[in-house]
Amino acid sequence: MAGELKPLSLKRVGDGLQVQWSDGVTTVTPWRTLRKNCPCASCTEERAKPPDPFRVLSPQEVAAGAPQPVAMQPVGHYAYKITWNDGHDTGIYPVERLRQLGEESK
Amino acid sequence: MNPGMPQKLSLPGVKQVVAVASGKGGVGKSTVAANLAMALHMSGKSVGLMDADIYGPSVPIMFGLGKVDQNTTPFPIEKFGIRLMSMGFLIGTEQAMIWRGPKVAQAVQSFLAQIDWGTLDYLIIDLPPGTGDAQLTLSQSAPLTGAVIVTTPGEVSLIDARKGVKMFREVRVPILGIVENMSYFTDAAGTKTPIFGVGGGMKLALESNAPFLGELPIDPRVAQCGDAGEPMVRKYPDAPIAKSYVALAAAVDAAATAANASGLPAVEL
Repeated sequence: MAGELKPLSLKRVGDGLQVQWSDGVTTVTPWRTLRKNCPCASCTEERAKPPDPFRVLSPQEVAAGAPQPVAMQPVGHYAYKITWNDGHDTGIYPVERLRQLGEESK
Repeated sequence: MNPGMPQKLSLPGVKQVVAVASGKGGVGKSTVAANLAMALHMSGKSVGLMDADIYGPSVPIMFGLGKVDQNTTPFPIEKFGIRLMSMGFLIGTEQAMIWRGPKVAQAVQSFLAQIDWGTLDYLIIDLPPGTGDAQLTLSQSAPLTGAVIVTTPGEVSLIDARKGVKMFREVRVPILGIVENMSYFTDAAGTKTPIFGVGGGMKLALESNAPFLGELPIDPRVAQCGDAGEPMVRKYPDAPIAKSYVALAAAVDAAATAANASGLPAVEL
């Protein structure tokens, strides 16, 4: 387990999340990317469907504007849970996924 | 609060939380958990044992207890110096828990959060078989130091034990080691007969790159003691299997102390 990749510190930088990893890499992921890739079951299902051109935004979504995290808490030893400003809070982001999203946003 | 999202708990008085798990049922998790708890206690540690098997609690019978009046009995119940909590204290043995998963997760969480465990060196958690609600709740919300995986030597048990290992890897709970239960039977002449096959525990340990914590022989007295409500290590401390358990307790203690299960850093928002 020693060689496992771990986040050393996480903080909000500008409009995204900056993570410093145990292998010396630093990634910055925009909140928008994180919100769009929410790993929760309903978002995953939503992404699998073709986009609905007539989708109506909920009043909460409209009021929230650009995605911002309200809270981000560790879950066990493996993931973080993000509560968004649109009220969505079911996404648990495993650290591997955070790293992957960070690398994709470079 | 979303029921699928257990809150992260902290058990401030508990130094190490160790889960005893296996993928498969019937490999002796509860027996191992009870005797491990007892052996740790006998080595001078303060120990609690939480039975997370909601559908089939077996801690009460192994400690000679049963359903108690919840209005007059404070939990955890102390027996032989070990603090115990189990669903079996709340419902009678003749009653079945016919519950869906989320209720199980809730019960497991309340055992952790609503019971005053006090100051403990070790809280041993006896997990039910499988990789479902109870296991997921614990790995998401309990500050687990690590997990001990129990298997029997045969391939049938290994198939499921691998899944257990895989689950803990996925949620990054360190595997403290693999224990092989029911390894062999020693007859009166001293001949060892491997009833359930040979070498499964070692094989799994090598495969999963986890330490092998030892073999536990078959001894009919283990089952008798379980049914009679006094763990084997306490009743027959000189039996070979009791010595194996003492060695196991020492190995678990060493592994748990070494495991730096440092949690994830907090986020600065």
